[in-house]
Amino acid sequence: MQIIGSSVAQTTESNIGKLSKNSTEGSINYINAQIMDEMNRDTDKLAEKLKGFIRDQVTAFKKKGVVLGVSGGIDSAVALTLCVQEFGKENVYGILLPEKESAPSSRTLGAEICESLGVSYEEVPISPIIEALGIYDKKEQIIKRTCPEYDPEVHKTSLVLPDFLNQGLLNVPYIRLIKDGETVARYRLKANDYLELIGLQNVKQRSRMIVQYMYAEKMNYVVCGTTNKTELVLGQFVKYGDGGVDLEPLADCYKTQIYALAKHLMVNEAIIKRPPSADTWSHYTTDEEFYWRMPMHIMDQLLYAKEHKLSLEITEKNTGLPGDTIEKAWRHIDRVRDTTEYVRATPPVYYLGK
Amino acid sequence: MEHIKNGILDYLKDNSFMERGAVLKDSDSLTQNGIIDSIGLLELIDYICETYSIEIPEDMLTPENFDSLQGITDLITRLAK
Repeated sequence: MQIIGSSVAQTTESNIGKLSKNSTEGSINYINAQIMDEMNRDTDKLAEKLKGFIRDQVTAFKKKGVVLGVSGGIDSAVALTLCVQEFGKENVYGILLPEKESAPSSRTLGAEICESLGVSYEEVPISPIIEALGIYDKKEQIIKRTCPEYDPEVHKTSLVLPDFLNQGLLNVPYIRLIKDGETVARYRLKANDYLELIGLQNVKQRSRMIVQYMYAEKMNYVVCGTTNKTELVLGQFVKYGDGGVDLEPLADCYKTQIYALAKHLMVNEAIIKRPPSADTWSHYTTDEEFYWRMPMHIMDQLLYAKEHKLSLEITEKNTGLPGDTIEKAWRHIDRVRDTTEYVRATPPVYYLGK
Repeated sequence: MEHIKNGILDYLKDNSFMERGAVLKDSDSLTQNGIIDSIGLLELIDYICETYSIEIPEDMLTPENFDSLQGITDLITRLAK
């Protein structure tokens, strides 16, 4: 991801010389760039290239097939379909990894896509691992001390951040209490509680990683990741959790491109329509509510504009946002990217003699 | 007002990525100068609430109120009245 820095408001003219970079399939007209069109084009060729990448990586690792955690979400559905089309259903194994707080639809949609592709799959609930580590109890204690009226028999909970575009508020997390589908209260989390909560929640993704490797090693398969570029840039994955995999075929595709791939691959409409979520809270919390703080298509256009150093003017035309909001959003994205640098980093090595 | 500003400055020197001998102007950006990150910001909010016995309304949790020594000092002064 390239940083635009202080000169975000480049003129159209200044872009002519600078932005001669080519896209994967051809040159981009940066002056009249239609960002969504750029992200949605040549999806058929993209799918073929991703399949080739998956095959190359599996072959390079000398493995016989692919294990994939199937969440019922669009990313794993796309990755699973690509793997099956490349290797055949016999060499792909799906694992459904629900826990106590997962939405029921995660399991049904995950099973549905495995069955529609004819892939062998297994359900391995991770709740016993989570319970053995006392994660649910510790999480409940934090919620109780943050939200005095919290009653686990009555309320569902979610972790949210304020909307960025309309409110312009700081990245301050809140616990939301939901009763009968309605938000009845929200409380600001203290820093220590937030850090503890993130550590507890991330055990869920890390448990899934452990189970996937248990199966992959037994079968001599790789574990295929499902992280997309939007998530990668924003650090929206768990290090050694869903980020603990052998290959990441989708990690250079924005979420918008994942949707285009899903349509091209004819993924189940119910999966495409389901709002993206990490699905780790008892109330289904969307990525827009916690990570992006704005609609996905806006976030992707802002990220794309930054990556390709598009001018403020072009970004305004594409997003429909005023220039000052775009500049604020770009600064916000820079901060998020900097803060999450360690999530993307592999352990630095001290090389002797260098 | 000055003692509030000095209190925040001391907090930042002890708890942020600010170097001990660094000079921080009243209007310098805390985030753009790498003095606090998103977690540091949450810790600073907790410190302000506890130290000055104030509750900060959600609509006042804005970058303008928290990104500089002056902004923070003005906020505390307004809420501690």
